[in-house]
Amino acid sequence: MNNKEKEIFLRKRYSAEKRFRFFGISSIIIALSFLCILLINIFTNGLSAFSRTEILLKINFNEKKLGINSSSTDKEIKQANFDEVLQDALLSLAPNAPELKQAELMDLVSIDATTELKKFYLKNKDVLNKTAEVAVTLSDDIDQVHKGNFPRDIPEDRRRFSDFQLKIYDEQSSKNKIISEFNWPFIFNADSREPEIAGVGASLMGSFFTLIVCLLLSFPLGILAAIYLEEFAPKNKITEIIEVNVNNLAAVPSIVFGLLGLGVFLNYFYLPRSTPLVGGLVLALMTLPRIIIPCRAALKAVPPSIREGALALGASKVQTVMHNVVPLAMPGTLSGTIIGLSQALGETAPLLLIGMVAFINVVPSTPLDPSSVLPVQVYLWSESAERGFVEKTSATIIILIFFLAFMNSFAIYLRNKFEKKWS
Amino acid sequence: MKNQKIKISTKNLNVFYGAKQALFDVNLELEEKKVTALIGPSGCGKSTYIRCLNRMNDVIDICKVEGSIKIDGQEINKKDVDVNLLREKVGMVFQKPNPFPKSIYDNIAYGPRIHGLADNKNDLDQIVESSLKKAALWDEVKDRLNQPGTGLSGGQQQRLCIARTISINPEVILMDEPCSALDPIATAKIEELIDDLKKTYTIVIVTHSMSQAARVSQNTGFFHLGKILEFNLTEKIFKNPDNKLTQDYITGRFG
Amino acid sequence: MNLTILSLIAVFSLSCYFFGKSKVLKQTKISGKKFHSLPEYYGYYLAAWCGLPALIILFFWSFSELYIVKLFILSDFRADPSIDENKLNLIFSEIKSIAEKNFSGTIPQNLVPYVEKFLSLNKILELSKFAVIFSAIIFSLSFAYSQILKNIRARESVEKVIRVVMFLCAAIAVFTTFGIVLSLLFESIKFFTAVSIFDFITGTNWAPGRAFVRDASVQTADVENVFGAVPLFWGTFFIAMIAMCVAVPIGLFSGIFMAEYASRKIRRIVKPLIEVLAGIPTVVYGFFAALTVGPFFRTIGEAVGLNVSSESALAAGMIMGVMIIPYVSSLTDDVINAVPVSLREGSYAMGATKSETIKKVILPAALPGIVGSILLAISRAVGETMIVVMAAGLGANLTINPLEASTTITTQIVTILIGDQSFNNPKTQAAFALGLTLFFFTLVINIIALNIVKKFREKYE
Repeated sequence: MNNKEKEIFLRKRYSAEKRFRFFGISSIIIALSFLCILLINIFTNGLSAFSRTEILLKINFNEKKLGINSSSTDKEIKQANFDEVLQDALLSLAPNAPELKQAELMDLVSIDATTELKKFYLKNKDVLNKTAEVAVTLSDDIDQVHKGNFPRDIPEDRRRFSDFQLKIYDEQSSKNKIISEFNWPFIFNADSREPEIAGVGASLMGSFFTLIVCLLLSFPLGILAAIYLEEFAPKNKITEIIEVNVNNLAAVPSIVFGLLGLGVFLNYFYLPRSTPLVGGLVLALMTLPRIIIPCRAALKAVPPSIREGALALGASKVQTVMHNVVPLAMPGTLSGTIIGLSQALGETAPLLLIGMVAFINVVPSTPLDPSSVLPVQVYLWSESAERGFVEKTSATIIILIFFLAFMNSFAIYLRNKFEKKWS
Repeated sequence: MKNQKIKISTKNLNVFYGAKQALFDVNLELEEKKVTALIGPSGCGKSTYIRCLNRMNDVIDICKVEGSIKIDGQEINKKDVDVNLLREKVGMVFQKPNPFPKSIYDNIAYGPRIHGLADNKNDLDQIVESSLKKAALWDEVKDRLNQPGTGLSGGQQQRLCIARTISINPEVILMDEPCSALDPIATAKIEELIDDLKKTYTIVIVTHSMSQAARVSQNTGFFHLGKILEFNLTEKIFKNPDNKLTQDYITGRFG
Repeated sequence: MNLTILSLIAVFSLSCYFFGKSKVLKQTKISGKKFHSLPEYYGYYLAAWCGLPALIILFFWSFSELYIVKLFILSDFRADPSIDENKLNLIFSEIKSIAEKNFSGTIPQNLVPYVEKFLSLNKILELSKFAVIFSAIIFSLSFAYSQILKNIRARESVEKVIRVVMFLCAAIAVFTTFGIVLSLLFESIKFFTAVSIFDFITGTNWAPGRAFVRDASVQTADVENVFGAVPLFWGTFFIAMIAMCVAVPIGLFSGIFMAEYASRKIRRIVKPLIEVLAGIPTVVYGFFAALTVGPFFRTIGEAVGLNVSSESALAAGMIMGVMIIPYVSSLTDDVINAVPVSLREGSYAMGATKSETIKKVILPAALPGIVGSILLAISRAVGETMIVVMAAGLGANLTINPLEASTTITTQIVTILIGDQSFNNPKTQAAFALGLTLFFFTLVINIIALNIVKKFREKYE
C-alpha cells in the first residue's frame, strides 16, 4: 500500500467516524426535539384554559321578577329564579333583535350564569331593586373565539356560533365589557358537560386520595420487603422465587394490574367500584416492585463495615439493620418511593378497568366516593368533541406534568442532597 | 550512549489531572531499539509518562499534557497530530491482559483490518501467523485460532496482546507493567519475548519489579513523585546510582 | 364498623406498649429484678400480642363475612333448579344494594323479607365479630402479661415477629403474581369452555360486539366466529414493530453517544432530559398522537394523494417509539459503561478511531446487554395501552398498511371492560383471555431479557 492509497483509506476511516458521530448527535437532537414539540404543543394548547372569559352585564335585580324580597332567607334565594333578570340583561344588548335571534342571545352566556348571579346576589344583598354590573361567564364557543383558539373567518354554517352572536361579541368587546380573569373554577369545579364550567377539582381530589392510599400501602410494605430481601433473606429457593417475582412484576404491563383489580378486588371482594380506595390498592400493587428495587439498591450501597461495626458491639441483626443501615439508606429509599408514586400518578389504563372513568360531577370527599383521577380526566376529555375540551385537556396535562415535575425534582434533590457517596 | 539514535525525547513534560499535577518537567531521551525500563514507587507517574507517548491520556477527560514530546524529531503533543496514526506507530501493552471478546484470529486481525494493512485474506492470514510467531504464541494456538481470545491463560492472553500490538508493525512498544498480573513462569516467557523484540522495536517498559528491570532493560529511569530523579544505563543504576533515593529504592528501603 | 374496630385495636396496642414498658421499668426499680431485654421491647411484645391476633381475626372475618351471609340468604333460592349460579349472584347483589340503600328503581317486593334477613344477619355477625376480637385480645394479653412476669426474652420474640412480618411483605410479590394468574385463568377457562382455544388463536374475525347477549344463552355458532384474535395479535406485533423501528436506532445511537462521545457536562444535562420522555404519562402521548400526529399524517397523506386514516398504526407506533427511546438509550448507556475500560484502551492503543472501537469492540462485547434491553422495550411496547387506545383505532383489520387503523390486545381489553359490563358473558371473559395471553407473552420476554442482562452483568463484574 503506497502513501496515496493510505491517505484515501484514512480519509474513508475519518468520514466513517464523522458519520457515526453525526448519527449519535442527530439521534439525541431528534429525541429532544420530540420532547420540545410535545411540551410546546401541550402548553400552547392548554395555557389559555387558565383564563376565563366573562361579560359585564347590567343586571336589574328586580324584586318582582326574582320573586324575593329583602327579608328572604338564603334558602329562598337559592330556590329563586334568576333566569328572567338574566334574559332581560341579555336582550338589552340588542334591543331590536328579532324573536328568532333572541335564543342566540341567551346562548351567549354559560348555562351556569344564573348560579353566578345567585352567588353575586347572596354576597351583595343591597343590590335588590338596583342595577348592578355583574361579570358572567361566557359560553364556551365565545370563550374560544375570544382566546383566538377558533378561527372566526370560516363560513357561518361550519361554526358553532352565528354571525349575530359574533357581532354582539364584537360590540361588547369594543366597549370593554368582555374581560378575562384567572380561571379558578377550572381548578376547583368538578367535571361538567359544558366546557366553560368543567374543572379538574374532582380528579385532583381523586388523584390525591388514590395516591395517599397507594403511598400508605406501598411505602411500608415496599420498604419492609426490600429490607427483608436485602438483609435477612436466606439464600434459598423461596427467596429466589420472590426475587424473580419482584423483578417480573416491575415489567408486567399496567393493564394487567387493572384486570387483577377488576377480577379480585371488585368481583371477588366486592370493594366499591370507581373509588380511590380500589384505585390506590391496584396502583399500590403495581408500585410495590418499583419501590422495592431502588430501596434494595440503596440498602446495598451501604458498606458492610457499618453493619460489622454494629454487630461487633453486640447489637442484634434486627437492631443493626433498623438503627444503622436503614437510616443511611433512607434518602435513596425516599427518592425511589417518590419516583414510584409519580409513575402511579400518571397511570391510566388499570384505573379505566376498575371503573374510575365515570362522569363525576361532585368533588369526592373521602376515598370511598366514586371519583376520577387526573390522567383519566385527560382521557375522558380527549374523547369530547367540543373545542373547549381540547384546551381543558391540555391544561389538565399541564397540571399533571407540573405535579410530576415537582415530585421528580424533589426526589432528585433528596438524592443529591442527602445521599452519602461511599468511596 | 552518545552515539545511539534517539527515538523519543520529551522536554519539560508536565501532566495535570484536574488540579493535581502528576508529572513535573520530565526530560528524557529514549534510544532506538533498546529496552528502557521505568521504575519507581506506586503513583510516581511512570504509567502517566508512557501514556503520554501514544497520547492515551487523551482518553481521560480531565487530563492535560503540557510540554514537548518528539518521536523521530517530530512533535506529537500538538492538536493537529493524528493520534490514530501515532498509535499505529506507537503500540501499547497494558497491565492486565485485555484481549477483545473475539476469536484469537480476529484479535490479531483487528489492527491490520482497521488500518487497511491487508489487501486480501491471504495477507491477513500471513500477518496473523507472523505476529503470533513473533509473540511466541503460534505453536500454542495454531489449532484453535477461532476460539475466543478470552479463553486463554493469563500469560497467553498477554502474549496475544503483544502479538496484537506488533501486528500493525509499530516502531515503539509501550508496556505498562505487562507482567504484574502473571505468574513467574508466564513472566519469564514474556521477558524472553521482550529480549527478542528489542531487535526490531524500541521498547519502553514500566515495571514494579527491580529484578525485571535489571534483566530486560539497557537503560533505566527512576521516577519519584512525578519527577525523573535518575536516568542512566541499567547497570550503572543498579550497581552505583548517583542519587541516594534511587539507592534506597533499589535496595528496598522504601517503595 | 371495621374502621372503628381498627382504631380501637390501634389505641389498645399503643396503651399496651406504654403499659408493658412502664411495668418493666417499675419492676426493675422496686425489686431490682434484672430483665433480659430493654423495657421497650416488653412494650413492643405486649403491643404485638394485643394487635396481631386481633388484626388477623379481623382480616379473615371481614373477607368471609359476605360469603356466610350469601350462603344463608340464598339457601332458599338454591332449592329452585331453574335459577343458575349467575342468577343467584344477581339476586344477591340486588338484595345487598337494597339493604345498603344504593338500589335505584322500584324495589321488587319478593325480595323484601330477604333484605330484612340480610340486615339482621349482618347485625349479628358484626356483634359477634366485635365480641370474638375483643375476647381474643383479652386472652392473648393475659398470656403475654404472664410471659413478661416470667422474664422471657422479649427482644428475641419481637425480632422474630418483625422478621415474619417482613417476610410476608416480600411475599406479597408472589401473592400478586398468583392473584394475577388466578384471576386471569378463572375467567379465561370459562371463556375457553364457550369458545374453543383453537378458534381464539387462529381465527381471523374479531367482532366481540356481536356476541354480546344479555343472557348466557349464547348461540355457540355465533360465538365461535367472532373471537378470532389473530388480527389483535398482528396489530399488537405490527405497532410494536413500528415503535421499535423508531426507538431502537434513535435510542441506540443516543445511548452510544452519551456513553462514548458526550462530555460529562453534556451527559449530565442530556441524559435526564431524554429520560423525561419516559416520565411523561402515556395518556399524554395518546392525546398528542390522536390530536396532533394523526391529523398531521392525514394532511401529509392528502397532500401526496395517500389515504391516511386519522387513527393509524403509524401514528400510534411512532409515538410509542418516542416513549420507548429512553428505555433503550438508558439501558444501552448502562450496558456500554459496564464494558471494561481496558477493552477500550486496548483498541485505542491500536490506533482505532472511536467509532471503530465502538462498532468492533464495545458493541460486540455489550451485545447481550443491548439485546436484553431491546427485549424489555418490546415488552413495554406490547403492554402499552393508552397510546393505542387513543390513537390506533378499534377496527380489527388484518392489514400490513401502517396508514390504516389497527387494533391491539390492550385496546380491546379496555374497550370491552370500560364502563359497566355484566360478567358471565363470553365478551367480558374474552378480555381476560386476552389479558392472560398478554401476561404470558410479556412474562416470557421479561424472564428471557432479565436473564440475559443478569448474565451480562455477572460477566463483567
